[in-house]
Amino acid sequence: MAEMWIHMGPQHPMTHGLWNLRIKVDGETITDAVPELGYLHRSVEKIGERRKYFMNTTLTDRLCYASAMTWTHCYCLTVEELMGVETPQRAKYIRTIVLELQRIASHLMWLGAYLPDLGLITGFLYGMRDREMFLNLLEIPSGGRLLYNYVRIGGVKRDLPPGFAAKAERVMQTLEQRLKEYEDLYDNSKIFRMRTDDVGCYSASDAINWGITGPNLRSAGVAFDLRQADSYDAYPELDFTPVTTSASDGISDCFSRYRQRIDEMYQSMDLIRQALAKMPEGEVMADSVPVRASGEAFRRTEDSRGEALMYLVGDGTDRPYRWKIRSPMFTTVSASPHFLKGYKVADVPAIMGSIDMCIGETDK
Amino acid sequence: MTSLYEWSYWFCEAWLVPLLTPLLYFQEHIMPPFSNPAGDLARWMESDPGLNVLAWSIVVNVALMIGFTNVIIVVYLERKIAGRIMDRRGPMLSFNSLKEIASDLAGSVPEYNWKTTTYAGIGILQNVADGIKFFCKEMIVPAKADRLLYTIGPVIFISSSILLLILVPFSPRIAASSAPLGLLVVMAAFSIAPIGVLTTGWACNNKYTLIGGMRSAAQLMAYEIPLLLSMAGVFLVAGSFSPMDIVAQQQDASQFGIPMWNVIPQFIGFIVFMVCILAEVERIPFDLPEAEAELVEGWTTEIGGLRLGLTFAAEYIRGFVGAMIATVLFLGGWAGPFLPGEIWFLIKVYGILIFFIILRWSVPRIRTDQILLLGWKRLLPLSLLNLAIAILFVEVF
Repeated sequence: MAEMWIHMGPQHPMTHGLWNLRIKVDGETITDAVPELGYLHRSVEKIGERRKYFMNTTLTDRLCYASAMTWTHCYCLTVEELMGVETPQRAKYIRTIVLELQRIASHLMWLGAYLPDLGLITGFLYGMRDREMFLNLLEIPSGGRLLYNYVRIGGVKRDLPPGFAAKAERVMQTLEQRLKEYEDLYDNSKIFRMRTDDVGCYSASDAINWGITGPNLRSAGVAFDLRQADSYDAYPELDFTPVTTSASDGISDCFSRYRQRIDEMYQSMDLIRQALAKMPEGEVMADSVPVRASGEAFRRTEDSRGEALMYLVGDGTDRPYRWKIRSPMFTTVSASPHFLKGYKVADVPAIMGSIDMCIGETDK
Repeated sequence: MTSLYEWSYWFCEAWLVPLLTPLLYFQEHIMPPFSNPAGDLARWMESDPGLNVLAWSIVVNVALMIGFTNVIIVVYLERKIAGRIMDRRGPMLSFNSLKEIASDLAGSVPEYNWKTTTYAGIGILQNVADGIKFFCKEMIVPAKADRLLYTIGPVIFISSSILLLILVPFSPRIAASSAPLGLLVVMAAFSIAPIGVLTTGWACNNKYTLIGGMRSAAQLMAYEIPLLLSMAGVFLVAGSFSPMDIVAQQQDASQFGIPMWNVIPQFIGFIVFMVCILAEVERIPFDLPEAEAELVEGWTTEIGGLRLGLTFAAEYIRGFVGAMIATVLFLGGWAGPFLPGEIWFLIKVYGILIFFIILRWSVPRIRTDQILLLGWKRLLPLSLLNLAIAILFVEVF
């Protein structure tokens, strides 16, 4: 049979966003793949250069619809470094808590999006049901459910209300029960293992060379976590080691990427508990935040999907002179042809789903 | 025992044709150029082929009615059970909730209350809404599609599925036909549908439908042989292809002292049959031809309107007939104490259908190469083993 190109996207159930994956198939075997981006490009960086520093938090919220808090936080960290603002200790702890809540919500959305890719629509409802609890938690301090605008330059918008710890604890206990159910439903399912084991494999060295970061890198057994490697906020004061999984030694497949995110949810819950216990009293906003800045600064944080980096140049005015965003998914998607080749058409959603696409941040 | 076909033949011969033909004979020479065929028609209706055609058209219409009634029930069950599995309610709109909405709109409820106003019903109107939607949609033929094959493909799929219904009996009293080859004919009719799928997949001029059609053919290769081999064990024990004989054999208490359903001695065959029939009716985990994650809607991507609605209905009919065959072969058919046979038959069939539905919403879909592997490396040896066990039973007892 002659080889042919199939366009998966821009409107396709596999894409989870707006992008196009062109695959060349021989029968059902993929021989080549070309990801095409740019359908969702909003030129966030350029818009940001025309707006004042504090205005840009609304833009960064919109970088990733599944993980808005982490991107705003990354931006705020960078601006704080540029301006030399010191965040109060309590704000650092609150940031840690909301970041981890956001990470769990993002991973649950990934879990919900991944199972329909394999043909199980029930998984979507389960993932969304549990994400709902975490959105409710995030709504308590921030007032928003999708776009929070909660982390601000110099601190956070407002303090956590009393009773937040008890609510969070109740939600986390529910999630722990549910995660055990999911392990029964997915890990022990023969069909789920057939679809995910030894599919979409890449080695740790390849992943490092391609610039894959975050859970996708740690699922190959590389213990690299920016929360420790380039620590920020309250993470240095918390006790944790990066979670890693791998299919065999140094190989990441779809199942290990699934397992990695489930394990990270457990770890995030542990971090939230620690942070809630250690949280000091005090202010949540720095006393004075300057409006103008000059010089250059960059900070990188551990986003739900990998290494988020922001680079800012200030020229002494109240707007950034240059703003650069390094998105973790951009590099991962660029590497996708390498781990798509040789697998079947039916594996395309399984593989592209397992790396947790978010097109908002990829196209910026 | 008279089948529905025999009854319809008698009905046409004794009542329908004698009532119709005098009218046609009366018309015959009134206006020669226009009414001349009337007499030919009357003579054809009185002949054996004419009576056959009339009888079959009655049978097919009755089968269609029974089939679609069951489709509505199964679709409703599927939605409600899927909703429960997914921790939601499923469709809620029914006649009562319409009344509630109307009274709200008319203003008899002074303040909208989120707690008490639920619009909750059992949700039976969802099927009506779906039916209306399918009827209202335009049936588009894609510009570069092969117009003839595109039209024929769904027709093959739908008509072969409805044909299935008239080949399987509900009970000795309610049977559309009594074909001598019985269930073998059913399986032959079952494997017509992939031709329709392949035809549509090719004719749509779309890569997704093409892959869907090809997958359907590949899947046929995988499950058809183990399916027939797992049925062969039952045929061997019963010594007949006829559903009546197979059920009678399972009721026969002379061998074991109690009626022995085939599911107990031929448990391996039952498992193989259930896996293969799931593949045959193309439900998750084996719905590769319409894998919506990678192939959008598979071979049905380009079909629209009533064609799509009837295709969906035909898929449910195939699931229903699959459950009927499983009941007849392995679960003792219409046999059971106290209740009439038809009720027992429906209870068993719906039990299997509910199992299908629960399975569909609990497991992911498997891949094409994996179903071939499963069919040839697992199911085929198992069905041969089952055949050996059946031969042993026949020889020993």
